[in-house]
Amino acid sequence: MLDMMKETQFSELYEKLTQELRRGMLVLAVLSRLDEKRYGYDLISRLDEKGLEIEQGTLYPLLRRLEDQGLLTSEWNVEGSRPRRYYLLSPDGERMLDELTGEWETIVETMQGLLENQLQ
Amino acid sequence: MKLIDRYIQEVKRHLPRKNRQDILAELRSALVDAVEDRAAGEPTEDQAAEVLKEFGPPREVAASYQPETQYLIGPALFPLFKMVALIALAAVVGAQLLAWVVAIFLAGESFAPWDALAGLLSSIPMTLGWVVVVFYLLQRAEVQPDLKSEDWNPYELPEVQAGEEIKRGELITGIVFSVLLLVLFTFFPEKVGFLTTEDWVFYTNPVILRYLGWITASLVAGITLNIYLLWQGRWTPLTRVLKIAVNIFNIAVLAVLYQGHVAWLAERDAVGFLSTVERIPEMVGGSWQELGMQAFRMGLGIALLVTVIETVILVVRRVMISLNNGEERGQLPTG
Repeated sequence: MLDMMKETQFSELYEKLTQELRRGMLVLAVLSRLDEKRYGYDLISRLDEKGLEIEQGTLYPLLRRLEDQGLLTSEWNVEGSRPRRYYLLSPDGERMLDELTGEWETIVETMQGLLENQLQ
Repeated sequence: MKLIDRYIQEVKRHLPRKNRQDILAELRSALVDAVEDRAAGEPTEDQAAEVLKEFGPPREVAASYQPETQYLIGPALFPLFKMVALIALAAVVGAQLLAWVVAIFLAGESFAPWDALAGLLSSIPMTLGWVVVVFYLLQRAEVQPDLKSEDWNPYELPEVQAGEEIKRGELITGIVFSVLLLVLFTFFPEKVGFLTTEDWVFYTNPVILRYLGWITASLVAGITLNIYLLWQGRWTPLTRVLKIAVNIFNIAVLAVLYQGHVAWLAERDAVGFLSTVERIPEMVGGSWQELGMQAFRMGLGIALLVTVIETVILVVRRVMISLNNGEERGQLPTG
């Protein structure tokens, strides 16, 4: 009984820490797929293809925030079967993607070094 | 797909007004995309329900569109809020204690200690409430406090405080004295009074007899706290607050006793203490009793004043410590 409670606590904490770990990464992932115009559901499929699952409920608000921050532009397109909102990197967004990619490389390198023993 | 309509309507209720229609239109198109993707032909309500379930509860989805996590008072403002709340509380409690002193010593009308105590208690949530309201408005206005965190200087950090240790001797003296009084009041209440030097008659103090229960309660509270302090070996935030509470209770009891003496003397139309002393040579029985009661009254008045001053100092020090060190210090292990 006590062991089970401990186990639940552990997995809850694992969930939380995983989410925190992913949160910062998601922005970079989303920016990387928006070098051409895409709508939300399309974006989810593209990310999924590459192995990154993102919940819809997370993506749409994130897109709004990135637009508010000036990294994305968006417009409604009514040509398809139904109106869809398309997002695209703004010039600032392109620059930010470059900078963050550089940062990402450094992080990966550093973490590889730190996790050397665990990764074997 | 009726379920999607119902879902959208529910999200709408919780969305911020800004961009509301736009967000809803996007959500709807995204949901339909997802459902159609899942269905081979015409999508069923069950498939819609499945997608909606994955999308999350409407209230949560709406909340994720809020510009920031919603705070009554956000983390940026909280330290300032705590500081202001403490200062405001200290000011309100201190002002009321002062008002008590004025009411007891100066004002003619009788002082009702239990009403005053109730007033003191109810003023605490009221003060806190107003501070919260003000800070809530600041939070709404998105005011960011400028606390100059950039150019802080490590050399300006406050010295390590030695004042956390208790003073053993003081506590033990206090306990011994209080226990003696307690024994006296509990077992020989009729021996509390005064002896006249002229005819060696002993007068019991009637006011003290009347309020014996309250006196005992205040003594027991003080003794209990002192013993606990001796056992703990150092002050903690909790004991500092308890000490203030015990002091306020003592003030109330002393005030009742003081008032009792004033009333007793007023009933007998007693003249002032000094005039009574001047008349000592020609005094008889009754007047001696008045003199004794006046001496009791003076002693109580002094005790009352000392306790009030001590309490005000304690409150101020408590606030200073909170402002300087935060709450954690007192809870550090003693070893």
